[in-house]
Amino acid sequence: MKKFANLLKKEIKELVNKQLVFTLLFMVVFYNFIGQVSKKEIQKIVGVQTISALDEDGSGGSQALLKGLESARFKILDQSGKTKEQAIEAAKANDSKLLLVIPKGFGESLTAFKPSEIETYSFMRTFSIIGTRGQIVVDGVVSALNNALSNNFLKEKLPGFDPQAVKNPIKSKDFVVVRDHVAQGSATQVAGLMSQQSMLIPIVLMMIIIYSSQMVISAVAMEKQNKTLETLLTVPIKRTSIITAKMLAAGLVGLISAGVYMFAFKGFVGGMTGEVAKAGAQAGGGALMRQLGLTFNTTGYIVLGLALFLAILVALALAMILGVLAEDFRSAQTMIMPLIFLVMIPYFISLFADMNTLSLPAKILILVIPFSHPFLVSQNLYLGNWGMIAFGLGYMAVIFVVLTVIAARIFSTDKILTMKLRLGKKKPATV
Amino acid sequence: MPNVLTVRGLKKSYGTQVAVAGVDFDVRAGEVFALIGPNGAGKTTTLRIIATLLTATSGDIKFLDQDLCKDPDFVREKISYLPEEAGAYKDMKGLDYLRFMANFYARTAEEEKTFVDRAVAITELGDRLATKVGTYSKGMTRKLLLARSLMTKPTLAILDEPTSGLDVLNALEVREIVRRYVKEGTSVLLSSHNMLEIEFLSDRVALINKGLILDSGTPAELKDKHGAKNLEEVFRSSLR
Repeated sequence: MKKFANLLKKEIKELVNKQLVFTLLFMVVFYNFIGQVSKKEIQKIVGVQTISALDEDGSGGSQALLKGLESARFKILDQSGKTKEQAIEAAKANDSKLLLVIPKGFGESLTAFKPSEIETYSFMRTFSIIGTRGQIVVDGVVSALNNALSNNFLKEKLPGFDPQAVKNPIKSKDFVVVRDHVAQGSATQVAGLMSQQSMLIPIVLMMIIIYSSQMVISAVAMEKQNKTLETLLTVPIKRTSIITAKMLAAGLVGLISAGVYMFAFKGFVGGMTGEVAKAGAQAGGGALMRQLGLTFNTTGYIVLGLALFLAILVALALAMILGVLAEDFRSAQTMIMPLIFLVMIPYFISLFADMNTLSLPAKILILVIPFSHPFLVSQNLYLGNWGMIAFGLGYMAVIFVVLTVIAARIFSTDKILTMKLRLGKKKPATV
Repeated sequence: MPNVLTVRGLKKSYGTQVAVAGVDFDVRAGEVFALIGPNGAGKTTTLRIIATLLTATSGDIKFLDQDLCKDPDFVREKISYLPEEAGAYKDMKGLDYLRFMANFYARTAEEEKTFVDRAVAITELGDRLATKVGTYSKGMTRKLLLARSLMTKPTLAILDEPTSGLDVLNALEVREIVRRYVKEGTSVLLSSHNMLEIEFLSDRVALINKGLILDSGTPAELKDKHGAKNLEEVFRSSLR
């Protein structure tokens, strides 16, 4: 145990170097900075914005439209008395996002239930979403006015009828059924909430796998490059302890690195969406997901954690074998690619396809890749497919044992020194 | 003197390539036994097998009367191996490297301190041991590694080209250190293609070429037998 602790300490010290600490700090600062910038921009969008209005009509109808815009948090600069050209120039000069022109006869047309026109001039000073917000809100206010006016018209022409019932005679009441749970809501909404709810799983998995695997591969490759491996293999410590120490150190540091990355990422996303918006979105959706039993209980979280843990172990064992194939640190960087592909394939398939509707060969391919199972486990937990969950966990455990045995075998035999993946010229063995 | 190591019929092949074609030799307690031969003769492969890094294709190796292949963990406790192109962890300070290595062999904290103190004395690097290995010259690194391999006073020290790449003064120092530790009871099995070095260091020598031992004995015996002035001439004569 003393020898193992000695080796583990060395492995961790090697991995936690200045470059890693600097990279992680940079990531936190960088994402936080981007998050703050995005937050300010979004605050600008939802804050009071200035538009100009040229009301050539001056009727009750035109005043109602302008009041509607004011209540939608617009500051309206009145350009009355100017010509259209003068109003455009004035709006340009006063930084208005939009100029709204209400032509003469607007109110009269409204009261006569004839089509009325307004003109909007959007000033595109930037091509970000802020530039289009004025137009969107004006459209919204016009739509609300259209609705109110058509209601008035219907009330006048068809007294005793509900204008809403006349305009929308068919009403759809949507229900979603998941196993034996039924709840009112749309399938689109549930799918959206599901993807929002499980969005973090693949990202966390990918980050941990990539970080940890890269560390293991580099740890083995660096021993080779620095010519320290032969000495290490002749000291009195079991080869399995060497493997375990390297995997454990990489797993721990990878876990911490991924945690820091997620923290930084959360800062970035938090800045983008805003806490208020998040809370609002979750309030209604949370109740619907609970009604449908689409939330994890303690067992669910334990099973999901176990699936993630097994996937990490599989990645570390595979990385250990790939690390042996690498001759130096540079080639170690390319060795991570097969692992990344193995994680990316199930990730993208889980995003764009339904496992149940895939063809048999595609289904087998997905099930063979051990990293598919954490994605499948989370879906199967929602659907209560415990058989598939047990298969996934068992399969990952078997693959981990097989890969570890292979890695231990490689470390216990000549292969640790002779096994190389050479893509260039073949070199003769040293005798 | 009893044998520390007995090698009989040792063979090693990589597929169809034969690296060692059947060698026999013994290393006695308290002696320096050298394998000399040109590059590719099979020296490093033989040393790697005895250091438990490689497994022999066939043959019998006894270390302290125990089968080397059956109990490599026992062997690793009692030997030390200095590869020809060995390196140390560049981000570690010299002293930390010695402590790290001593920890694998020491049973107590006092024993670890004894090992480290001994290594510090061998290196003669003084304050430089408090700096990172990455900043050392090749000579300094080699001395650090030699100190690592001798600090535990192993039963058998396996040194592959111990003075490889060193300047004259550093090489001389390394040879003196090796001789000093042999006097204190460590047996040494070394390889070199530097025949003059071998003549200075070794008690007995085996001439190896193409995986086979051509001749063996003390340098004086070999020179007499071949009527040669030095080991280089002995080697040329053996090839004929």
